[in-house]
Amino acid sequence: MTPPRGAVGLSLPVLAFVVLFALLPVAVLFATSLADSGGLAGAGALLADPLNRAAVGNSLEQGALSAALAVALGYPAGLFVGRFDFPGRGLLRSVLLVPFLLPSLIVVLGVEDLFSSGGLFASTSAGAGVLGSGVPAIVLVNLVFNLPLVVLLTATGCEVASRDLEESVATLGGSPARAYLDGWGRPTWVGAAAGGLLTFLFSALSFAPPLLLCGARCYTVEARIWSLDTVLLQPAAAGVLALAMLLLFLLPTLGYLWLARGLRADPGRRRRPTRRVSVHRPVDLALAAETLAVLGGVAAVLAAVLFRTLAPSGSEGAGAAWASLFSPATTARLGLSVPAAVGNTLVFAVAAAGIAVLLTVPAAFATLGRRSRTSLGLVLFLPLLVSPVVLAFALATFWRPILGGEGSVWVLVIVSQAMLALPFALQALATPLSGLPAASREAAQTLGASRFSAFLDADLPRARDGLVTAALLAFALGLGEFTATFFLVTPRFTTLPVALYGLANARQTPVADAAAGLLLLIALAVFVALSAGGRRVEL
Amino acid sequence: MSSSEPLLEVRSLSARWDHRPVLQDISFEVRADEVVVLLGPNGSGKTTLLRCLAGLEPLHGGEVRLEGRDLATVPTHRRGLALMFQEPALFPHRTVFENIAYAPLLQRRPRPEIDEVVGRFAGLLGLAGFEDRDPSTLSGGERQKVALARTLAARPRLVLLDEPFASIDVEARAELRAEFRRALRESRTGAIHVTHDREEGFFLGDRVGLLFEGRLDAWGSPGEIAQRPRTTRAAKFLGYNVLPGPDGPVAVWPTELRVRPEGGSAGTFTVVAAGTVGAEALVVLRSPEGERVEWRIPEPFARPAAGTQVSFGWPTSRPVGAGPGRP
Repeated sequence: MTPPRGAVGLSLPVLAFVVLFALLPVAVLFATSLADSGGLAGAGALLADPLNRAAVGNSLEQGALSAALAVALGYPAGLFVGRFDFPGRGLLRSVLLVPFLLPSLIVVLGVEDLFSSGGLFASTSAGAGVLGSGVPAIVLVNLVFNLPLVVLLTATGCEVASRDLEESVATLGGSPARAYLDGWGRPTWVGAAAGGLLTFLFSALSFAPPLLLCGARCYTVEARIWSLDTVLLQPAAAGVLALAMLLLFLLPTLGYLWLARGLRADPGRRRRPTRRVSVHRPVDLALAAETLAVLGGVAAVLAAVLFRTLAPSGSEGAGAAWASLFSPATTARLGLSVPAAVGNTLVFAVAAAGIAVLLTVPAAFATLGRRSRTSLGLVLFLPLLVSPVVLAFALATFWRPILGGEGSVWVLVIVSQAMLALPFALQALATPLSGLPAASREAAQTLGASRFSAFLDADLPRARDGLVTAALLAFALGLGEFTATFFLVTPRFTTLPVALYGLANARQTPVADAAAGLLLLIALAVFVALSAGGRRVEL
Repeated sequence: MSSSEPLLEVRSLSARWDHRPVLQDISFEVRADEVVVLLGPNGSGKTTLLRCLAGLEPLHGGEVRLEGRDLATVPTHRRGLALMFQEPALFPHRTVFENIAYAPLLQRRPRPEIDEVVGRFAGLLGLAGFEDRDPSTLSGGERQKVALARTLAARPRLVLLDEPFASIDVEARAELRAEFRRALRESRTGAIHVTHDREEGFFLGDRVGLLFEGRLDAWGSPGEIAQRPRTTRAAKFLGYNVLPGPDGPVAVWPTELRVRPEGGSAGTFTVVAAGTVGAEALVVLRSPEGERVEWRIPEPFARPAAGTQVSFGWPTSRPVGAGPGRP
């Protein structure tokens, strides 16, 4: 497909947004940090600092460990979900998205509550206490978030596999194992590898888990950058480390983007129909058992978190914890009331989702062309590479002096949330669009519609679910966004996740649990809206 | 096995999708080395039938025997029935050589034999020199040739061809048909070919079956099927006009209609449209009952105006029954 004419013009707003609020601030941050730290030699010395090197090591260790476990545990479950038909399959596919939409702090606090000494699981099993803190706890949190992604992407691989190719192998004499190796297995490897890389990136760049579950000895690069800038007041060192991080994670990010392209279905390709689980096939049963164990484990953790947050177990009971959440004492501690924090959270998330969707529609049109998809897609996915801390750090450094003092805070929070949601919103819309046959669009063009009008009239209505998904996904990501928001907000603009962190950090556990419960209820409402009508979200 | 003995026997085969019958009581035989064509419109069950034979869909009833052996418990990959799809389904990560060599490699044939087999089938289908090419660099027709070469190199007992020319442009299709026919003959491989294209079916088939709504309506040589349609459905599918005769409906070929100014027994027809098709004029008319009738005149520019009333007679006709025929 040739790039749609007018694609360049329509992609200008989104390009301008990414350049002005990501590329330019980040480039300026890197340049000034390098200059302030004494050029390359100074940067080299900073990177040689044992704590910085430890942070890089921690990132790689936590990322690799989480990715390896997520792929090992998630791949068989992905095969099961992608290939087999069983009661509740559609619901399961939707539920798999829940952890991704959950604010990270909820799971972090939940794991800490459940597995630390005195926690629900630690009291039932001595070994479970190991998972309450340190690297095991961090990896557990990463798994709860990312394992379902591996399952989903592997299942997507199953679904885009060519049924004709698989059946050709069988009729040419290839055994079922051969059909897997030479036919339908390959896209599942691509899916699992994409899921593994995404898990690696999310885990290596995680912020809240090392901060709350381990402390400085487990800091990832992301946490170390935050610490250097806001605690140790060494912005130049933070900038240099951010540049190193970007270079370090460039390859896996590009790898993920390259692999994700292979998971798009060809228009017109016969979709693989699922087949029923047979109790007579040992492989079917083994896959079903593994899926049940793995997803059941994730569900158990989430259910326990849900129970713990909705019924906080303070000494005075759940009612007292919920009452305390809305008390003047909590307002005084946070600097604003919890309803005000909820209001800030919703306003920021709605505004960020609105911006993301407004930018996503013309960007999705521009990425319809194969060549422009590659080049533009790379630019639009840059926010995925620029981590939340680096983005917030760069935005604050570059834009605060221009926009003014506290008045700029809400602008920067909304911009950062929109920027971080943009790649996922774009993917949610671009994937169903890329699977649509061009015939309707081309028919509209021959009837006199411009290319963009034809796109709006013929393609967008057919990808309506993708558009709604993009909006809700952007909203959900904004709702739970903690890292960049934490970096940018002042007490007046505090959001619920940031308030939750404040309460948890002050060891106000039952009240923090109640706050987490409130956030969880809002996130679950978004999930229900997202999965209504059997929508599918592509990551 | 002698060529008169059936290679494949299909007995009372039936299949269902979601409790809905898609194939009912299908029975036929295929001899070694012969090409059987199953003709039918879209949705008649052609593809499902091939998939049932290959073991890709379960049978609801009946049996399939290959060289006398019941295939009920034989898995797809051990049947020796190679199915070739409308889309070539080549391995995108393998070269043309590796695609053709796929089955011989699975069969662990010695390397010199593999080289010889690939060279033979590549040569047979005009693919010599393409061996190192990536499938994505080939045209649609070339990919189908590679798919057929890959299928023949597997030495299947029977090739199942599911409308392999449907996505090929008309010009290339004619050439490809000829090459497929020659390749099947020279490799002495039998085939069941399903298609909705009458011309293709009669060109390729040693024997032809007509499949309508999951039932086998007729079975015989191309000449028998084309010249003597037994049912109204078959006659219409084959391109005949079905007109009222003195003893019931008759099938009349569009070139057999003759103008009768004095009036014909079938009444008066109204010209809807007329145009030139090759060396003939094609006139579309409506009968008094609203049936569409085609009339071909060997004068390309003889086009009666729309609305003209015409009466016909016909020198030859074939009586057709309303019910389904039986092979």
